[in-house]
Amino acid sequence: MVEVITGNERILRAYCLEVSGSCLPAEQVGGDFFEFIPCDARTMFAVIGDVMGKGFHAARLMETIRQMLRDCITNNPHPLEAVRLLNKVAGYELRKCGAFATLCLLCYDGITGRLTCVNAGHHPPLLLSDGKVKVARCRGVALGLLEDYLGSGVEEFFLAAGDAVVLYTDGLVEACGPGEQRYGLERLKKIVCLQNGANADRMKRNILSDLQAFTSGFPQKDDVTLAVMKVAGRAGEKSGD
Amino acid sequence: MKKVEIRVRQTEKMAILEVSGELDYSNVEQLQQEIQRRPEEVVEINLRELKFIDSSGAGMLLNQARHLYRQGRSLRIVCIPDHIREDLELIGFFRVLEILKADPDA
Repeated sequence: MVEVITGNERILRAYCLEVSGSCLPAEQVGGDFFEFIPCDARTMFAVIGDVMGKGFHAARLMETIRQMLRDCITNNPHPLEAVRLLNKVAGYELRKCGAFATLCLLCYDGITGRLTCVNAGHHPPLLLSDGKVKVARCRGVALGLLEDYLGSGVEEFFLAAGDAVVLYTDGLVEACGPGEQRYGLERLKKIVCLQNGANADRMKRNILSDLQAFTSGFPQKDDVTLAVMKVAGRAGEKSGD
Repeated sequence: MKKVEIRVRQTEKMAILEVSGELDYSNVEQLQQEIQRRPEEVVEINLRELKFIDSSGAGMLLNQARHLYRQGRSLRIVCIPDHIREDLELIGFFRVLEILKADPDA
């Protein structure tokens, strides 16, 4: 397992968020990525994505898109505008290679608890609140497939202390187990539902353990990336650092 | 390399490519070359026996559809298993196909 936990804990504590994430490559390095990007004193972005293909080429494109996303957020911190702009600039790079990328961009306001979600062809996030799991409904066409981004727009949620958001790539729900069965969204929802009260890192580890139990002994086709963010309180209520 | 098999049938104006196995980055060129080799006005891709497709496979099909539409030809994708249809739906595959049909430069 290659575990990648990104984000400066000091900064994330300032937003009263716990975060944890991992990338588990299948056969060779792929184009999965996730990142937590602080924007200003109250706003933080979380992103998960998957660039088409495998190997050095996909990894290089993925790095280019990450950098472009940071630039787009700096240019316009509204998540829908950032994705529209990213589709313009990264779309050009992707189309040159005949590739595309899926991406889900979340913007969290640590003062109000508002979570804004924009989707470009990625599996929508799961939200865990009071032991109930909800699947976000935002949808959109993956980056690079069309000149102009096309999607259902922004979807908003208001998160309370204890609520958690689970981001994942297709490699998780499409992971193969006995009888060519897929791990699937329903099993993921069930295990997420059982995580009420666990911290972000424990949630991530429990989900990955369940995946491991399901896929044990079966070769996997795709990378698995999983990121969890959990609201610990309201920004400003705790001292940060 | 994953195993993909392509069986070709043809009528006067249409080539039918029946794809079985697993289509991914390691073998996607096989199907791409077969599509590019066809001179028929319509190329139909039958996915009834396909077990798995990754993003490289989906991307290649959209690129080939764009290419054929630009030539005034068309690519039809039929008999898509439910689990593959769901994966393709998520990335906006069918919306893109519709849009490309009307405007291949979209």
